[in-house]
Amino acid sequence: MIPLLRTEMIKAARRTRTYVIALGLIVLPAVIVFALNSRGDHGPGRERGDGLFRLAQQSGLLVPAAVLSIMSGFLLVVIAGMFAGDSVASDAGWGNLRYLLMRPVPRGRLLIAKAIVAGTLIWACTLLVALTALVGGAIVFGTNAVTVPSAIGGGVAGFHLDASVLLLRLALATGYVAFGFTALLALGTFFSTLTDTAAGAIGATIGVYIVSEILDGISQIGRIRYGFPTHYLSAWEPMFTENRLPTDMLVGVAVQIAYLAVFGTAAVIWFRRKDLRS
Amino acid sequence: MPMPIVNVTGLWKNFGEVSAVEDLSFVVEQGQVCGLLGPNGAGKSTTLRVLMGLERPSRGTAELFGVSVQPGCGELIRVGAMVEQAAFVPHLSGMLNLRLWWEALGGHLRDADLDTALGIADLGDAINRKVRTYSQGMKQRLGFARLLLARPELLVLDEPTNGLDPGEIRDIRELIGRLTREGATVLLSSHHLSEVEQTCSHLVVMNHGKLVSSGTVAQLVGSTGSVYVEVDDRERARTVLSALPSVRNLHLQGDGLVVDLHDGRRSDLSVALMTAGLRLETIAPAQRLEDAFLELLEGPARDLTPSETPVAVDATEAQ
Repeated sequence: MIPLLRTEMIKAARRTRTYVIALGLIVLPAVIVFALNSRGDHGPGRERGDGLFRLAQQSGLLVPAAVLSIMSGFLLVVIAGMFAGDSVASDAGWGNLRYLLMRPVPRGRLLIAKAIVAGTLIWACTLLVALTALVGGAIVFGTNAVTVPSAIGGGVAGFHLDASVLLLRLALATGYVAFGFTALLALGTFFSTLTDTAAGAIGATIGVYIVSEILDGISQIGRIRYGFPTHYLSAWEPMFTENRLPTDMLVGVAVQIAYLAVFGTAAVIWFRRKDLRS
Repeated sequence: MPMPIVNVTGLWKNFGEVSAVEDLSFVVEQGQVCGLLGPNGAGKSTTLRVLMGLERPSRGTAELFGVSVQPGCGELIRVGAMVEQAAFVPHLSGMLNLRLWWEALGGHLRDADLDTALGIADLGDAINRKVRTYSQGMKQRLGFARLLLARPELLVLDEPTNGLDPGEIRDIRELIGRLTREGATVLLSSHHLSEVEQTCSHLVVMNHGKLVSSGTVAQLVGSTGSVYVEVDDRERARTVLSALPSVRNLHLQGDGLVVDLHDGRRSDLSVALMTAGLRLETIAPAQRLEDAFLELLEGPARDLTPSETPVAVDATEAQ
């Protein structure tokens, strides 16, 4: 398995697209830090919905949380969808997949290796965003402790977060955000086994997430929303705004594992049985 | 009888209501260069894909080295295959493509037959360029390099000379000849009948997914009923042969006669000519593979080899 992981990682990592994404994930948090530091509209109307961004001006240790909250909603979803949807379909599209299978690399092992590589790249991207924001935030705003006023915490009284707590929660938040793409990884890998067109698999993966986000916003749907892959993606934010470890995070992890089990199994079964026509 | 290298028995491959391959049986034995011939849609590529574990048979079996082929079958490691055109990861160099393909199963590229492979590819410094900059011919040559890395005992080649220029086609023909002399067995499909005629010892002809005929090249070319005859008295021979019920038609050609037979038995002619006191100088098939191929596609299926099912031909017969 290790040699296969190594060869698959080289193939994925040496694409121009991967370099561009990495560059973008360094530049964009830096731009956000710059924007946070600029003089903007600080009027009363700006206090709603941007709690993490307001707090981030107190300490660079909160900048990664702010950046992750905004980037995990769309940009990281697109990037994760790209890595997951592309995993098998790109090799099939190039015609290289049949040569790997004639080597002969066992199908199940190849699929798992490709999913692990895609997952590793998704984790690496999330980590890159967090680290860039942390470095940029620390340089611009320092590494101070944070005092959260009651207005941001909603009904919660104001509280104090020192630097070590912030760092610990930041690590937890980054891990949760990265793990939050597990369902997307499983869906993308599954779609990737269905087609030889990488764009189709990527589009389907991202499409499912967009539909999930839209439907999740309609409360009339009821409890069914709790099973959507996007429902618990922001469950980590109360660690910084309400000074608590949300139990929703555990439910979110369970939902992600459920998607991984269902669609990961489906992908393996389908890929092992399918006729390879490309 | 030695174990066949390739043994296809009662193979069916259906796609919904359509049968791409129907009840196909043939064997390829050690040292043969077997050509899989047929028009577009005959089922050649599907047969090769099933044989390489890329597709599952609907019915029947495909065996390599006596083992039924399944996806990921271990015997595939003894096979060097090029199915349809050679394909690579376009954003990596030719050399890195070879390395990653080889090392996907573990080990190091230095364990492979790299010198031979690079000699075949003959890409010079281009081996370190990205594959997306290669011409089709360069990719095809790199494809040959890749399949030779593992010193395969069996080569499975689907239209191997597509995209190659005449010089490269000759090189590939010579390569196949050299590998066969070194003990390799070859199964190749091709549309280039002259290439097949020069390269192959045996043929399996398919049409509409079914076996049309199989045997040695000489048997197939000679089986279709046109015979060229040279004798010491051509006019008398014409009279003698015209009287035979098995002769359909005859006409003069060069120094001899071309005789079209109903049932393809050349021995009838030689017996009749010698009984009439004529001296037989030459009696041989009058047509080339192209004629035989087209005639086979229009006629009923024929098994030219008097052997057990499935069709088998002694490898030494045509060599």
